[in-house]
Amino acid sequence: MSEPIIRVENVSFSYNPLAEKPVFALQDINLEVFPGDYLVIVGHNGSGKSTLAKHFNALLRPTKGDVWVNGMNTKDPKCVLPIRATVGMVFQIPDNQIVATVVEEDVAFGPANLGVPEQELRARVDWALKIVDMDAHRQRAPHLLSSGQKQRVAIAGAMALKPKVLVLDESTSMLDPAGREEVLSAVRTLNKEGTTIVAITHFMHEAVEGNRVIVMEAGRIVAYGSPREVFSNVETLRALHLDVPQVTELAYELHKRDPSFPADLLTIDEVVQEIEGRLEQKEKVGEHSWARYHTGQ
Amino acid sequence: MNTRGRVIIQVNDLHHTYLSGTPLEVKALKGVTMEIYEGEVVGIIGRTGAGKSTIVQHFNGLIRNRERGRVIVDGHDMADPSLDVRAIRQKVGLVFQHPEQQLFERLVGDDIAFGPKKMGLPPEVRRERVRWAMEMVGLDFEKFKDRFTFSLSGGEMRKVAIAGVLALQPKVLILDESTTGIDPRGRKELLSRMLHLNREHGVTLVFVSSNMDEVASIADRIYVIDDGRTVMHGTAREIFAQPETLRRYGLGVPHVTTVAYRLAQDGIPMPRVPLTVAEAEEDVWKILSS
Repeated sequence: MSEPIIRVENVSFSYNPLAEKPVFALQDINLEVFPGDYLVIVGHNGSGKSTLAKHFNALLRPTKGDVWVNGMNTKDPKCVLPIRATVGMVFQIPDNQIVATVVEEDVAFGPANLGVPEQELRARVDWALKIVDMDAHRQRAPHLLSSGQKQRVAIAGAMALKPKVLVLDESTSMLDPAGREEVLSAVRTLNKEGTTIVAITHFMHEAVEGNRVIVMEAGRIVAYGSPREVFSNVETLRALHLDVPQVTELAYELHKRDPSFPADLLTIDEVVQEIEGRLEQKEKVGEHSWARYHTGQ
Repeated sequence: MNTRGRVIIQVNDLHHTYLSGTPLEVKALKGVTMEIYEGEVVGIIGRTGAGKSTIVQHFNGLIRNRERGRVIVDGHDMADPSLDVRAIRQKVGLVFQHPEQQLFERLVGDDIAFGPKKMGLPPEVRRERVRWAMEMVGLDFEKFKDRFTFSLSGGEMRKVAIAGVLALQPKVLILDESTTGIDPRGRKELLSRMLHLNREHGVTLVFVSSNMDEVASIADRIYVIDDGRTVMHGTAREIFAQPETLRRYGLGVPHVTTVAYRLAQDGIPMPRVPLTVAEAEEDVWKILSS
């Protein structure tokens, strides 16, 4: 197996470490993110998701323990810039991330400051705007865009830096269903092309996108695994006051009525197939008994 | 609520242009028509940039219509220059996308009391208003009234902001994407409290959202806005029965509704368009066990 691109070792973090009784937002976190991973972090407000994500590009440094990005320790001041070039971030509220007065200039801001030559700069801006479908709005003023459009500009800005890892901190929370799907499919494409993705979300059906899911609660990782492993524990998640994807909830409720109905279905396709399979089965059984009735057996 | 009361907000062919007459002119509304009846829960959905927020900002006079179209709120023409906008804003409360940013006082109690104070209500009435508003959003009066607003969690800040609007005892409460970014538990709690306000206190709710699951579970009727125009309206079940049309407008339907729709397309007789997990479970079980 390849080396992890992000390694979190025994990390605890407090926003007030010098206080008499420091409050720890993260406690003893251990985590490895490998190149090509699509890691999803869920947990409710205040569980430490964003605090953890901010450790991935040295916006925060651990109070205890270490975070390694591509072999660089986030505590080493010399590594901060290369780490931020490796890990791009998109936050929940795009207004905080938009700097320019014209959309395409905003997207160009990052790479231009890294000294990317003009021709490539243009190519990157075109590519990034296309991937978030903001091409048509490239000359507009960001503050006159809707929140969802602004978010897509912010994502394009991060993508134009071509980071190895893209961290999305609830970046789809302000988008409409189509916008969300566009961003998800853009993220999917990036992931397929090799970008490592870390996504924080409250939408459980988005968590199904990932190859791994971690559930956080009170600064700790309380569940970890593939989406199917994590979401099949409906009761555990409910105890943590978290949702499961709607279709998983449906499957789970049907499973409670009939234990032979699988409880761990994750997608619409899986649920539809399961129900239709059962109906076909029933029809066959029905035909049999009909035939038996007529043949007098 | 199916028993329709009187129309409390009437919008006819509303137009609005931002930065009109400049090179940055944007036509945000190009013909919106809708009616909101007293006591109902209306959902307004549409892709980002469709004009939803622009519409609801007309409802309490944050934007005054000067172009084509009319907005009548509780019998008042909002274009009337002599209109007492403050009186309208007491009737129509608006909670924004990031309500926590609406807070400005140091203490929770003061922040919620700000509106009633500006209305000139005597201190004891104000206190009762604050107590009632806090109860409605689920904040304990004694425990929270003297807390610092900046020391609250995001979820608590939202509650305070909503309480601040409720303290005006508005007839209409508009929630403009106010549940965005709250975790599922907080969202459910807020929704059920808002429904309580509607059912028990008769407050008309206007719910702007891009979360289809949420709208499906709460709205009596829905207006779909696209590119500044009203493009669909009907009951929640009527609207979500048309997934393909909704998709054209950048919207979707709840996942369980899609499950039922796919089953129906494959020739399985589904009894209705389910809007929630509970409804879908009931319907699918009926079919599997019949």
